[in-house]
Amino acid sequence: MPLVNNKVGDDCTDEALADGKALVDSLIKVVACYRHLASCVGGCTDSLQLREELRQTREKAQMLSVAICSHLTSHLRNKRLPEGQRKEMELLWVAFSSSLELLHGDMCKVFNVAEIFSLANTDSLVQTGLQGGGSEVAARALSLPDLNRAQSPTLPAGLESQERSTMEQEIGQIEHMIDDMEMKVNVMRWMVEPHGPQYTDPLSSTDSASLALLSVDEEQPGRQPLCQRSQIFVLLLMFAVVLVAATLSVCVVFFS
Amino acid sequence: MTIRNTLRDHGQRYRPRMACLKKVEKLLLEMQDPKTGVKSQPQRLVITTIPHAITGEDIIAWLADRFQVDTQEARNFVSMLVALGYIYPLQDHRRLVIKPDASLYRFQTPYFWPTQQWPVEDTDYAIYLAKRNIRKRGILELHEQEHYNRLHKWMNHKWDFVVMQAKEQYRAAKERKKPDRVVFECQERAYWVVHRPPPGTVSAMDYGLDRLTDPNADEVTGESLCDLLVKYCSTYKSHDPFLSNCLPSNPWLTDDATYWSLNMPSVEIPTKMRVERWTFSFAELLSDPRGRDDFRLFLKKEFSGENLAFWEGCEDLKWGEAATMREKAEHIYKTFLARGAPRWINIDGKTMEVTVKGLKHPHRYVLDPAQTHIYMLMKKDSYGRYQKSPVFKDTVKKAICPEEHRYSDAQLQQNAKKRRPSLSPIILRQMEQEQRAKMAANVDITQVMSKLSKQGKEAHVFSSGRDQKQS
Repeated sequence: MPLVNNKVGDDCTDEALADGKALVDSLIKVVACYRHLASCVGGCTDSLQLREELRQTREKAQMLSVAICSHLTSHLRNKRLPEGQRKEMELLWVAFSSSLELLHGDMCKVFNVAEIFSLANTDSLVQTGLQGGGSEVAARALSLPDLNRAQSPTLPAGLESQERSTMEQEIGQIEHMIDDMEMKVNVMRWMVEPHGPQYTDPLSSTDSASLALLSVDEEQPGRQPLCQRSQIFVLLLMFAVVLVAATLSVCVVFFS
Repeated sequence: MTIRNTLRDHGQRYRPRMACLKKVEKLLLEMQDPKTGVKSQPQRLVITTIPHAITGEDIIAWLADRFQVDTQEARNFVSMLVALGYIYPLQDHRRLVIKPDASLYRFQTPYFWPTQQWPVEDTDYAIYLAKRNIRKRGILELHEQEHYNRLHKWMNHKWDFVVMQAKEQYRAAKERKKPDRVVFECQERAYWVVHRPPPGTVSAMDYGLDRLTDPNADEVTGESLCDLLVKYCSTYKSHDPFLSNCLPSNPWLTDDATYWSLNMPSVEIPTKMRVERWTFSFAELLSDPRGRDDFRLFLKKEFSGENLAFWEGCEDLKWGEAATMREKAEHIYKTFLARGAPRWINIDGKTMEVTVKGLKHPHRYVLDPAQTHIYMLMKKDSYGRYQKSPVFKDTVKKAICPEEHRYSDAQLQQNAKKRRPSLSPIILRQMEQEQRAKMAANVDITQVMSKLSKQGKEAHVFSSGRDQKQS
């Protein structure tokens, strides 16, 4: 874990700012992955492994939050912080509190859904159309190249309720942290200005094109056979044109 | 124990019309059962197949069989399920309707099921729109664009976070296998069509107003609350302009302003309905200016007008301008509370002590204890006597009950043409102030005169000899 600055009177350098930013970035990443994993709970891919991955992601998120909380609190309570750095810290603070709120919401939802859907009865899990698990997402969250899959196949009933009570505790802890934060540091949210533009650039074009193809096909499967046929026809036509052009150019070369 | 998301649940989001959701969830678990539920088939796309797609006609048939109802009823029911977001269409995703043919649907994942206790957060919607925008620029529809711009304005301080979270969710999604990504995107898209419907569509999430209390919670005083409501409704039923006719006629309907001119604040002769309202409660009497005038007249005859004057002074202090507060408080103290004041009010020693101490540093509510005491005094004592007094009986006798207007259509049109704007509120306020000044001047003299005459009488009774000597 990175070093945690506990002393209030420390000089804030750019290094501390960069540290804070890195921590907040990784928390945002973990929260995003948690949401993906949470959306699988109660569905047909819900399993012990998924619950385990959720738990691990949750723990990582909590570790990060505790670190960020102490880091940012100590710096924001430092009255001698220069103005520019204070603004940056406040931005990080807003991002941190928003991530915590998202995480809290997701945890509450997972808790409620897990109450309804018990893993003992796999027939009651909703058939949502998912096929794979969330292992890759969890690996991304925990920053591990691959998760080992050694899990016990059966879960004794006692452990499930124990996990529920741990989860309740963790949700309570996050609530407490959020309340505490509001008490300790007064960040005026209307004074915080973001850096980025309103519309950001797309991340990658190739991937989006293929996905767009998938969703377009999904929208009109009634016309799908026709589309397929017309696509094949167009392809054949183009192929024929290319062939004709090639033979023509060969003829030109030979006869000139 | 149920976890309550106490962060976002500000206690005002009790939405009883959504209590049906729990029942729907039970039904849905039955429906999706692989053995006894709706028959599912794989959905074929260009690159891959995705399982667990169900056709509209299958769902309707299953439901008709399960509940032993006819097809039309089952169809209505399933359209409700689709509108609530438990089943989403795979083609034509913007229209949440059930088509009784081979069009495909899929079950929504429990994470995206609608819930009663938690509202749908704008932050999540902002992240979703940002994600779609990142995926492909210009893909947002018009109403989504407008939402996006509005959210950017109101959530400006966390916009960096929104964009970063959108990017991270997008990257995390890329880790998943392609079919799962498609499914997740469809799920999320369906969720937001349900909760942020395009304009012009009817949303099943429309639950009416938020309520202040949780109707599902155990009501200890449920019965007395009901009784109070019933009593209120039965008392005020004939006075409500929606439930019964205004006499002579409702000006908004017939463009005849007689009703308003008959019920002006300072009218000579009030209407019968108005006088009846004064008997409902003391607060009604005091809140109506004409009623207060009548009450003041009664108190003048009883020589206890200072109570009402003090109460009015306190109201003036509470609701008046901050600049004149100190002077007002001093004036009230000199007139009503000081020893030997011209209009001394009778309050108990403890309240007097507290008030005088508070007046050293006066603020708006410094006279609140004294005002409450005087209010309760008037309510318990003077109000009862007022209702039996000749002043009130006289007013009741003189009160008018106007005839109901019966306008024909032609006359209504005529009235509409003759519409004129009513008195400007500035003029009304000036009139009010003039009246108040006149009253202040009037009362002082009469009160002082009555006190002097009282003192004169006393002096005459107890020391006539001395008087004669002096004169």
